Amino acid sequence: MTGDPGAFATYYPTLLRYIAVAVGLAALMFGVYRLLRRLGVKREPATGFVLVLPWIVGFLAFVLFPIGLSFYLSFTEYNVLWDKPRSLEDPLFNYKRALSVKIVELPEGQRPLQALGVLESPSPETVRFRELDRFRWGNKTYLIGATDPFFLKAVWLTLRYALFSIPLGLVGALGVALLLNQKVRWVGFWRTLYYLPAVLPAAAVALLWFWLFAPTSGLINSLLKPVYQLLDMQPLGWFTDKDLVLPSFVIMGLWGVFGANTVILLAGLKNIPAELYEAAAIDGAGNWMKFRHITIPMLSPALFYNLVTGTIAALQIFTQQAFIPTNRDDGWFVNWFVYNEAFNFGRMGYASALGWMLTLLIVLLTLLIFRSSSAWVFYEGMRRDRGKG
Amino acid sequence: MAAETSIGRAQVRAERLRRERQLQHLIQRAIIYALLLLGALIILVPFFWMVSTSLKVEKHLFDQPPQWIPDPIAPENYIEAWEKLASIAPGLTFWRIMGNTLFITGLAMFAEMFSASIVAYGFARFEFKGRDVIFFIMLSTMMIPATLTRVPTFLIWKRLGLLNTYDPMTVPAWFAWGPAYVFLLRQFFLTIPREMEDAAAIDGANPIQTYFYIMLPLVKPAFLAIGVLSFQANWNNFESPLIYLNTTQMFPLILAIQFFQESLSKEAPKWHYMMAMATMMAVPILALFFAAQRYFIEGLTVGAVKG
Repeated sequence: MTGDPGAFATYYPTLLRYIAVAVGLAALMFGVYRLLRRLGVKREPATGFVLVLPWIVGFLAFVLFPIGLSFYLSFTEYNVLWDKPRSLEDPLFNYKRALSVKIVELPEGQRPLQALGVLESPSPETVRFRELDRFRWGNKTYLIGATDPFFLKAVWLTLRYALFSIPLGLVGALGVALLLNQKVRWVGFWRTLYYLPAVLPAAAVALLWFWLFAPTSGLINSLLKPVYQLLDMQPLGWFTDKDLVLPSFVIMGLWGVFGANTVILLAGLKNIPAELYEAAAIDGAGNWMKFRHITIPMLSPALFYNLVTGTIAALQIFTQQAFIPTNRDDGWFVNWFVYNEAFNFGRMGYASALGWMLTLLIVLLTLLIFRSSSAWVFYEGMRRDRGKG
Repeated sequence: MAAETSIGRAQVRAERLRRERQLQHLIQRAIIYALLLLGALIILVPFFWMVSTSLKVEKHLFDQPPQWIPDPIAPENYIEAWEKLASIAPGLTFWRIMGNTLFITGLAMFAEMFSASIVAYGFARFEFKGRDVIFFIMLSTMMIPATLTRVPTFLIWKRLGLLNTYDPMTVPAWFAWGPAYVFLLRQFFLTIPREMEDAAAIDGANPIQTYFYIMLPLVKPAFLAIGVLSFQANWNNFESPLIYLNTTQMFPLILAIQFFQESLSKEAPKWHYMMAMATMMAVPILALFFAAQRYFIEGLTVGAVKG
């Protein structure tokens, strides 16, 4: 913590640079326009390119260059206190360290760490395999060891979070949207009400649910007290219980995103032309048939959009985690884990490698959803084209 | 006689059928409203609990059964929370933190709206070589997680000597850093007939004039929609201040809350103060939401429905 220079002293240098960058950017745009015109580019393309230029500059400076740098760093060892990164004898060391897994038999009377051994690699430090899990097969005990069990656990927790929260959120939101579409009164009122949690800052949501789920005197356990007594069980530990961390986050997440999804799907429902339903009714279609063959296909682009944005967001859960101190063993999400590797433990090189793996995961899952979309997402415009052809 | 009774019977049957249908309809309605009401409870009870806790005195926090309406009401929590913070970090006052938050949010939001609309205008209205490729690349960057660029971006700011300043949170906003906003505005620009600009061009307006006097007023709803989305995103931005700021007095609200939690509420959680701060964090956003609800919903739905 450094000294406080006072409010003014912290604002005005940034303000100056803020204005300078704006002026510089405008000058750059103007200069490039003049240059393009002199090179014989027509007015329209030159103007268009120059208008897009701010994004291109930002992309090069704050996306492409960092990505390249991160790629380079992922093959190095770099503590934030050092001047520059050190190259590794084994360039893939960071990746190996994150992903190495092995299964060994645990001989009687040997300790797990001993049986698991170390990662064989010309590495700057000795990296031991640590126990991730164990199982019995026959009458022998086997150990699953990993060089970074925390990372694998964090990935696993994050994937399960996405797997549960996204479908539950979509189905639930669809249900509410369908209810609201049933000519109910005060749609605007209900819509506002259901949307409220999505407006609440993630930090406030996290603090609030951390308090609601407090094990000894949180509201939820207080309300569940009769149930606990009836079933003769201990109050649940929620965020503090390693088996309940995931459901707790899922419940909190559902409460938070429910409304936003509902609003999107409701707008989609309102966009479906009534003639489609009338035509189906004339053909004698029941409610289920209408739902299955009109509502779902017509809504599929909105569902698809929700699925893509929801997946990308769920894999990057961060702010909530910062306000809910869960046990690192079982309750850390991957984004938070990588942040801590970089900024609390100072392992910039390793964190870069982890970042690359998380990115790969997101891109793969997104592509998977996109590939699957042709099977279930229905675009009206495309159907018309096909009809013409 | 016989014919009359059969007509009467048919009438009675029709009447009964009508009533049955009415009853069925009524039950259906009742179920719908009951479900909606249940959902409303699930949403409102936590909200109520947040505000209720923020107004309790410490000894009633853990009452069993829970105390729904605070008694006595303790609005002084909202002031005491800041006094506690000031006691460990001199100079950290409510006004200072609010000033920081508004400074970051204001600068980032203005630059973001301005640059996103210019870039969107370029994508929507001008033909140039490679436009669609550039647009596609821009949309793909939405997939890139913050995790990937976090470390190298930090190193860039470190090299520039601008750590522990507000620059990383505000200055890059000039470069249209939100692809989603550009996309949203572009969709809106596309719906505006070209004749508008042609007419302006005939009247001798240059592209800058056309943009400010013709196009921007026409996409006002979308422009305000990204305005509220951007305000919300920057007000809630946690990650960048967490990484770049380390002088406590420079913190925005969200980081001050986390600082409070880490330093004063770690061992024995002071839930009344925490909830008071959470409420303070939420109130401006909620107020904005009630004032500009239309634009929130516009911004939210355009990507899904019109896209």
